[in-house]
Amino acid sequence: MESITVIIKTSEGMKEYAYEGNLNIPVTTLLERINVKHDIKIHYSSSCLQGLCGSCSMIINGLPRLACKTFVNEEEMTKKTHKITIEPLSKFPIVNDLVVDRTSMFENIKNSRQWLEEEASINTDNLEYEYEVSQCLMCGCCLEACPNYTGEDDYYGAILPVTSSKISKQEGDMDKQKFLKENYSNHFYNACVKSLACENVCPMNIQTQRAISIMNRHSIWKFHKLLKK
Amino acid sequence: MVKEIIVIGAGLAGLTCSVKSASKNIHVKLFSPVQSERSQSVMAMGGINAALNTKGEDDSVNEHYTDTINAGQHINNHNAVEKLTNDAPEIIDWLSRLGTSFTRDDNGNVDIRYFGGQKKMRTAYAGARTGKQILTAINTECRKWEYKDKIKRYVGWRFLSLILDDNKVCRGVVMINENTEEIRDFYADFVVIASGGMNKVFGKISGSLHNDGFVTGKLLRQGVELANMEMIQYHPTTIETPVKRMLITEAARGEGGRLYTLRNCEKWYFMEEWYPEQGALMPRDVVSRSIYRVCHEYGLGIDGENKVYLDLTHLDEKTVKIKLDEVYDVCMNYLNLDPTCEPIPIYPGVHYFMGGIRTDDAHKTNIENLFAIGECSSQYHGANRLGGNSLLGAIHGGWVVAEQLEEIQCENDNSKEYGKILNCEYEAYENWKELQKENNNVSSYEIEKEIADIMNKTMGIYRTESELKDGLGRLDLLETIHVNSHGCYYDYILLKSLISIAKTMLSSALARKESRGAHQRLDYPETDDKYLKTTVTSFDNDKLKITFNDTEERMGW
Repeated sequence: MESITVIIKTSEGMKEYAYEGNLNIPVTTLLERINVKHDIKIHYSSSCLQGLCGSCSMIINGLPRLACKTFVNEEEMTKKTHKITIEPLSKFPIVNDLVVDRTSMFENIKNSRQWLEEEASINTDNLEYEYEVSQCLMCGCCLEACPNYTGEDDYYGAILPVTSSKISKQEGDMDKQKFLKENYSNHFYNACVKSLACENVCPMNIQTQRAISIMNRHSIWKFHKLLKK
Repeated sequence: MVKEIIVIGAGLAGLTCSVKSASKNIHVKLFSPVQSERSQSVMAMGGINAALNTKGEDDSVNEHYTDTINAGQHINNHNAVEKLTNDAPEIIDWLSRLGTSFTRDDNGNVDIRYFGGQKKMRTAYAGARTGKQILTAINTECRKWEYKDKIKRYVGWRFLSLILDDNKVCRGVVMINENTEEIRDFYADFVVIASGGMNKVFGKISGSLHNDGFVTGKLLRQGVELANMEMIQYHPTTIETPVKRMLITEAARGEGGRLYTLRNCEKWYFMEEWYPEQGALMPRDVVSRSIYRVCHEYGLGIDGENKVYLDLTHLDEKTVKIKLDEVYDVCMNYLNLDPTCEPIPIYPGVHYFMGGIRTDDAHKTNIENLFAIGECSSQYHGANRLGGNSLLGAIHGGWVVAEQLEEIQCENDNSKEYGKILNCEYEAYENWKELQKENNNVSSYEIEKEIADIMNKTMGIYRTESELKDGLGRLDLLETIHVNSHGCYYDYILLKSLISIAKTMLSSALARKESRGAHQRLDYPETDDKYLKTTVTSFDNDKLKITFNDTEERMGW
């Protein structure tokens, strides 16, 4: 039995709860136990509880994480201070307590026409990469950590190169390829300062740096070569 | 011509139905409480079955059909299974063309592997995250139709009730926006329910929290018949974690994982001894019962506890870390156990509902203009589902409904509004608000716990009449309690649905006086041909009615 103070940013302000018990639990289980013990309802999103669906991204001890994969006993700050701080993602509108509205992220990807016009071309050399980027949970952690993403302008953040790099490898339609390049320049390349915070926080360990370099090679460098000629 | 449909649920079944319908020029209103990425479909790991016959094993659609029917102990809808297995290779091809990153063999074909209850390699897969990979591909396609305004998504909306006209024909739905609590009616030519399994009656199971069963329970009380509600799959290999029982995919055994316990300090591979031909890859119900026997009859659980070992340590490290990456991650994250070095302690856990909304081979329900697809429907799996047939069934449901819509001639006038049911829902909402002002209400958490306790005690791998009757009595008591749902209307109405579903399950189990597949009665251990039927439950004048109907029966509209 160990005890910690759980500090939660709710819609009604910061609240503190004492928690006593096993700390070898993820934050989703901690929230669930606090709700049951105090017979209250702190709202938070969760679905799979095992890191597969991206529902439960929130800021834990200052960093954007999936609550279901963040174990309380492994938190260095909590070990030192016996406190854990849980806040909603800050770059999306708050719906209730820890629940945020991530619609804008989905809208940006939709408006970036992230789909195939033709049947997917299959190249087995690309499969491993395509599999990796298809794991994107659309959880929003990368956008939260990004120094350039505000949610208020036309910069879409790392999810754009992640989805675009797969589409551009599978798409046969040349007009669409052209659109993907322009879209990437307008909504990513011109604003990203390459801090790569996105790669550090991605719960699926997607190599965003690789996605960015693929899209750069695809969209920007070829374009520059043409200009030189 | 069909102009517009409403789809409730945006997992693989709902998504497939939506994109297929949109491609046929039908407008879709797609409702879901959360985005598709959060659906339970992304949790499906092992694969999707199709007789692709690319391994020189002489596999065929016919064998896929036979294996499915045998696993389901012959109470599947045979016509539905025939179509399911026939369409499977075309579905894999479609998914591939949409860009699903299936694992491929040396010849560049979609790779297939062994799975439980099937003697041929027939399970296509994408690493150990097949559901997620497929969902990403179909969701990508869905974006196109959203952009083109063929599909309109309503995220954050939950189902409240069907709108039925005087002839009991479905005209639309009443929905509630969870964020704003706005209650609204929507109309369309057809309504398709794709709301998933009924996980919440058991508390937390291997699947998603969102597949709670609310819709199924609510539909029952609106006159929709349910079927085979006693058929609940215990997956043989789940692990105990502080969060919940988590699944270890059947692919772990498909790739060569072995089950053993310790007998006189020696490894006893009981499945291989009892079933020499298929060993640990027998159908799930058989494997789960065997593990139960080892622990309860032989008293040979590991360290005196109810568990045996799933051993992957003899497998190539690459197989575990790449082909079974999800297994590796789950063990490392939630058990602090490296499955390449140590065996995994496992025990069966509730995983899937073969039963649900009663549907025929066309996915029609007993209510005209209402379809049900995916795990919430009930015609494919009979008394036990084969691993790899759930993803297939989910996608096939959407596929079959969209195909029919194209052919149906319909001249519905959707401009007519049916205000009565909407007013009922407003009223129910206002009543709840009044009720919440009372002081002595019982916490919804306590009721949820009690329901889960009843279900886990009475609807285990083995059932008895006395326990089932006792469970029904306890459920009756819950119905009269005033509930405090902590300011959340959905949590309140959910409980009513859960109690209805739980009662239906227990009553169905009580009525089926035999043992078949996932339904095992200690007091009726034999299989009885009298029950080669679908268990049908309906709600009639506030009372549950149970009948046994022909498995092939069509709904007649």
